[in-house]
Amino acid sequence: MDVTQLLAPPGPLGYPAPYWFMAVLKVLGFVLHLVPMNLWFAGILIAMLMRSRGEHARRFSDRLMNQMPIIIALGINFGIVPLLFLQVAYHRVFYPATILMAWPWVSIVGLLIIAYYGVYLYAIGLREGKLTPLRRASGWTAAILFIAMGFVFTHAFVLMANVDVWPGLWERTSVAGAVRGTAVLLGEPAIWSRWLMVFGLALTTTAAYAAVDAGMFAVRETEAYRRWVSGFALRLYSLGILWFALAGSWYVFGTWIPEVRALMFNAPLVVLTALTALSPGLVWLVLAAQRGRITQATALMTALAQIAVLALNGISRQVVQNAELRRFVDVTDAPLNIQWSPLVLFLILFVAGLGVVAWMVTQAFRASRQPQPARR
Amino acid sequence: MHYPWWYVPYLTAPMLIAGIAVVHVLVAHYAVGGGLFLAFETQYAYRTKNRAYLDYLRGHAWFFILLTVVFGAITGVGIWWTIGLASPLATETLIHTFVFGWAMEYVFFVLEIVSAFIFYYYWGRLAPKIHTTIGWIYAGSAWMSLVLITGITAFMLHPGAWPEHRTFWTGFLNPQFVPQTLARTGGALLLASLYVYLHASFKVKEAALRDLIAARSARPALLGAVLIVLGGLTWYAFLPESARAALAAAAALNVMMVLIFAITIAVFVMLYFGPYRHPGWLSPGFAILLFAFGLAAFSTGEFIREAVRKPYIVYNVVMGNQLLVDEVRDVHQRGFLESGVWTKAWVASRYPQVMQDGKVAADRLAALPEDDQRRVGEAIFKFQCNNCHATRVGYSAVSHLTRGWTPELIRSVLAHLNEATFFMPPWVGTPEEADALARYLASIAHPRPRGMEPELGR
Repeated sequence: MDVTQLLAPPGPLGYPAPYWFMAVLKVLGFVLHLVPMNLWFAGILIAMLMRSRGEHARRFSDRLMNQMPIIIALGINFGIVPLLFLQVAYHRVFYPATILMAWPWVSIVGLLIIAYYGVYLYAIGLREGKLTPLRRASGWTAAILFIAMGFVFTHAFVLMANVDVWPGLWERTSVAGAVRGTAVLLGEPAIWSRWLMVFGLALTTTAAYAAVDAGMFAVRETEAYRRWVSGFALRLYSLGILWFALAGSWYVFGTWIPEVRALMFNAPLVVLTALTALSPGLVWLVLAAQRGRITQATALMTALAQIAVLALNGISRQVVQNAELRRFVDVTDAPLNIQWSPLVLFLILFVAGLGVVAWMVTQAFRASRQPQPARR
Repeated sequence: MHYPWWYVPYLTAPMLIAGIAVVHVLVAHYAVGGGLFLAFETQYAYRTKNRAYLDYLRGHAWFFILLTVVFGAITGVGIWWTIGLASPLATETLIHTFVFGWAMEYVFFVLEIVSAFIFYYYWGRLAPKIHTTIGWIYAGSAWMSLVLITGITAFMLHPGAWPEHRTFWTGFLNPQFVPQTLARTGGALLLASLYVYLHASFKVKEAALRDLIAARSARPALLGAVLIVLGGLTWYAFLPESARAALAAAAALNVMMVLIFAITIAVFVMLYFGPYRHPGWLSPGFAILLFAFGLAAFSTGEFIREAVRKPYIVYNVVMGNQLLVDEVRDVHQRGFLESGVWTKAWVASRYPQVMQDGKVAADRLAALPEDDQRRVGEAIFKFQCNNCHATRVGYSAVSHLTRGWTPELIRSVLAHLNEATFFMPPWVGTPEEADALARYLASIAHPRPRGMEPELGR
């Protein structure tokens, strides 16, 4: 069967903006989403594990879980932009892939509500100084559910780029040609390796964030705490790099199709591949250099370096996704029907919005120097 | 047809959208009205130096965040998830038309999130003026997100001149935009007051403070009710004729319209004689009743808004059976199975003998054994009818709708589907495909109830 026959015809409306513009926004939005997403993907589990490992570990755990509701809210919102442009440019593969696995895909909504309220329950317990068994259980539940949701996302995006597996799944899970929405590809190594690789990356982001938090936000914490964090962040980052390297090697050398390997291991993209693989080493060096003493400057450097790691990862993923899809469809090839005035208005609003956010954060930063009033 | 069809037994996939959308709007409107309430009342409490009221508002802001930032935001994501799964063609059309509208909404979402958290977590640490400014930034952003999404959802009911011009602005500034913005703004104000009453009736023990809250929230609630009526009337005035006809013709919608008027009047009267004239009436029982009435009116309104669009998902653009209006004639001539990406692949895989030169051949389809024709009919049903009809049991189940129909009657109704019932889409496909579908429908139709003989009327 020619699997390209399963792709919907190109829509009559065309792209509302040039492909490159949408790809830039998609990757930019995805990188913004990756930072908080990595923190809930691995960070909650790490926080739960660290709580019983001494005074400083407990403090770190409490700090991260106290911040987690805000991190999750930002992460969900930052996910909107990549999702929007994904649907514009990749709708012909995104919709069928997610419809084939509709029930796991839609279950994300319920799981996310449970996980998010679980985090809140835990954070309220911390705030009130009463971590009841139920609240502890809700923290663990959230940690597990976020990891499970990561698997569902990975599954969807692997399925999206592998149109050739659709007919088999469709055959197994359909009734009179209509899909039941229960397609699951548990035997596909690309899903497991990619999911584990992202978890490794998430461990590094959690480690980097620990250092950033200690250096920039933990102004009321003791010097001993900051020293402990510097060592902990380095150890966790080392684990993350090792995990990332192992799972990443499995993903790259074990599951990439020849076309993708040829593209990513030859000039000019081999540079991108090398940078993506090696860039976590730079953050590791920054963390090693600040071991024993985290300052605002080193914390800022850590943050920027880790964002660069995530950005390189995001760009590489986009390139690989397009290369995988090129076997079936060229997403860059669609008629253009550019919506200039809404596009410009969006950019103006985006810049103005950033300005308003900056003003609000500045006010909050100033206020954070004031003592917190007691709640009734 | 262009996309795989998700078969959800009993419920039908689009009903999942309705289920999530209704619970979402109940919180999303509060996210807007509650923001206005918090900004306005915090400013008032600072101005009057009312510490007790400020403390209450702080507690309410926490309740507000827990509900809107978690449940409201995730059910909003849930709508995206379900529309992509259950209505991919309409979603494709909407996203290609309004992606920058949604992108603008995203900017306001980010402003909402940041301002909401700073407003709550820095309570008491920000200077009153800055604190209220941040509250107003939240309120303004939330209202702007309401305006932006209303432009898009209103487009689905009446795209105005969009089919001719196909530009963002002709679609966004459609005839339903202002009426629905008015109604939704009113709804946000009213619903927020009902949430406040519910929260305050349980949380505030001091009678004077409870009376103050009751009295102050009554005015925006009454204003909201007036805006709802104004928006509702203009909504009706600018409805496409088919939607107005559907409203008049469908008995269920008639009942719902009466219900929504009755409940809205009840809410208005309760607000006026309750919190507005007698703030002391605000008790948990009264607040729960008021809240339940409000939710019932809202849910009914949303259901009516969705139902009157039939037979379209996007009026005059996307049909309820997942076809573009522009392609109906062509598909009718070429055949439904042949024109659909997934239907054609299914026929080619199951009945290769029906294919001729890579196309579904109508005469070969007609030559299939009767059992196989029924199976083909079932596939046509799934892709063309299951959007709105369950099979044997469930939402608008077709076995019940065709109870006692003869195969000839089914075939005849199929041939005149949109002529017999104007809010049904036209039958799209070849006569041979209609035969196959009729065979399938006849095989699952329930028998006519005993004691009701069809001959009686002849």
